[in-house]
Amino acid sequence: MTDPTASPPPPEVMIRLEGLVKRYPGQSTDAVSKLSMDIRRGEFVVFVGPSGCGKTTTLRMINRLVEPTSGRIWIDGEDVTDVDPDRLRRRIGYVIQQIGLIPHMTIAQNIGLVPKLLGWDKARIRDRVDELLELVGLDPAAFRDRYPKQLSGGQQQRVGVARALAGDPPVMLMDEPFGAIDPITRDRLQEEFLKLQERIRKTIVFVTHDIDEALKLGDRIAIFGEGSRLEQFATPLEILSEPANDYVRSFVGAGTGIRRLGLLRIADIPGGAPEPAGRGAVRLTEDQTVHAALEEMLQAGADEVVVASADGRGERSLTMRDLLLAAARAKGEAR
Amino acid sequence: MSFVEYVDRNFDRIAFLTVQHVQVVLLSVAIAAVIGVGLGIATERTPRLRRVLLGITGTLLTIPSFALFGLLIPLLGLGLAPTVAALTVYAVFPILRNTVTGLQIVDPAVVDASRGMGLGAGQRLWMVRLPLAWPVILNGIRVATIMVVAIAAIGAAVRGPGLGELIFRGLSRIGGANAFNEAMSGVAGVVLVALVLDLVFVLIGRLTTPRGLHD
Repeated sequence: MTDPTASPPPPEVMIRLEGLVKRYPGQSTDAVSKLSMDIRRGEFVVFVGPSGCGKTTTLRMINRLVEPTSGRIWIDGEDVTDVDPDRLRRRIGYVIQQIGLIPHMTIAQNIGLVPKLLGWDKARIRDRVDELLELVGLDPAAFRDRYPKQLSGGQQQRVGVARALAGDPPVMLMDEPFGAIDPITRDRLQEEFLKLQERIRKTIVFVTHDIDEALKLGDRIAIFGEGSRLEQFATPLEILSEPANDYVRSFVGAGTGIRRLGLLRIADIPGGAPEPAGRGAVRLTEDQTVHAALEEMLQAGADEVVVASADGRGERSLTMRDLLLAAARAKGEAR
Repeated sequence: MSFVEYVDRNFDRIAFLTVQHVQVVLLSVAIAAVIGVGLGIATERTPRLRRVLLGITGTLLTIPSFALFGLLIPLLGLGLAPTVAALTVYAVFPILRNTVTGLQIVDPAVVDASRGMGLGAGQRLWMVRLPLAWPVILNGIRVATIMVVAIAAIGAAVRGPGLGELIFRGLSRIGGANAFNEAMSGVAGVVLVALVLDLVFVLIGRLTTPRGLHD
């Protein structure tokens, strides 16, 4: 059933939510009301907001674990509002906070479940399982035949991510995937996941209540307010530099100027002297953050930093003043 | 004559009745398992009907067994039929109860993840929920079996098969020659059957519990 009046979004849009509403029976207000947004192909979008703001409900409407009361959902150019939900879900990766690995199945069986549902042959499933285990940093020989409860929480969530990727879905939905994991492991998993995303370029929708996690991971962040109002939908830098309103300002919290330094790469800072500076200067590379550069300089008591370009050929030197002024001027450009 | 001598002389008859006893118990429990597990699954979306069924089967359990056997005579006559019918009635409740509980206590996160991966309702039931509920369901079947082993002895009141015959005959002529030994051999047989079946269930439990669920 396709609404004949609706026209599909342009090809660069992977997920389009169109006037999405969810009202639970017996409730007088909408859990999600009239939400519209476009998520681009390969984009990492984070939904963030206080509990009860509708971010998880919205996420669960994308794979129809929650059926919308009204509105339309488009995925990859197709109106999926009325398609068979089971078939739809096999094309969408799904990762949840409680992980939910199936306890009586081995790690290989857990990861291979969706490929099996998709009708892949055994040899292909086996190869895929090993490939994915390596991708998430687990040795296939050691982990393939273990059961979920023999793994630590962090290892289990790596398997959870591998399982979600098994059918090579273009879209991944992640509901606070690192929320129940200890802070040190969480940091590591976040870093690894960012690196992984650079390789696999999935379209990701990620829910969290932690604004710092959102700023660290997202290409764009959707800040939800009361009643699923979309307060701001922008890049991390834009949110820190130009919060849309007081709600966003208070949600993001204090110290936005300093936190912005962690989002800027040295490569984003123009200028600098072409000649290497004198003695005592700190040496860094272009892909490091301005925050890291300033930290190094403060530690070393140096006023200048020598930055090697990514290909390792050119060098330029920047002063602390260069960095700070440029950071202050940087408003909302790409990360 | 001592008890041991009595058993020795009447071994064939006691053994025959013991085998009959086990057969009638297993037959009844098998029927009850199909009914109990079936109803437990079938009523998942009708919680009110499920509560009513649990209430009815639970209440049936309180009917004194001697009375139930007797009440079934007009319907089913004497012998195997009323015995199996009555035992099945008793065995349904623990199996239904444990099927319901077993399915309810499956970790909701596992079910949500399975649903999110695209497993349909039937696939979730067969591939995920029933295997996880199985240890609890099996325990219900075990409880039903042990309970029914004892009740089956009363089946002799309606000329049912099994060890009850020894008990009833012995007790009806108590004071007579070997009357006590006869009744005792029936009682000992029932206890032995219960113990052996219990062990069998422990073994079945070990063999059929999915490996990932063992500690």
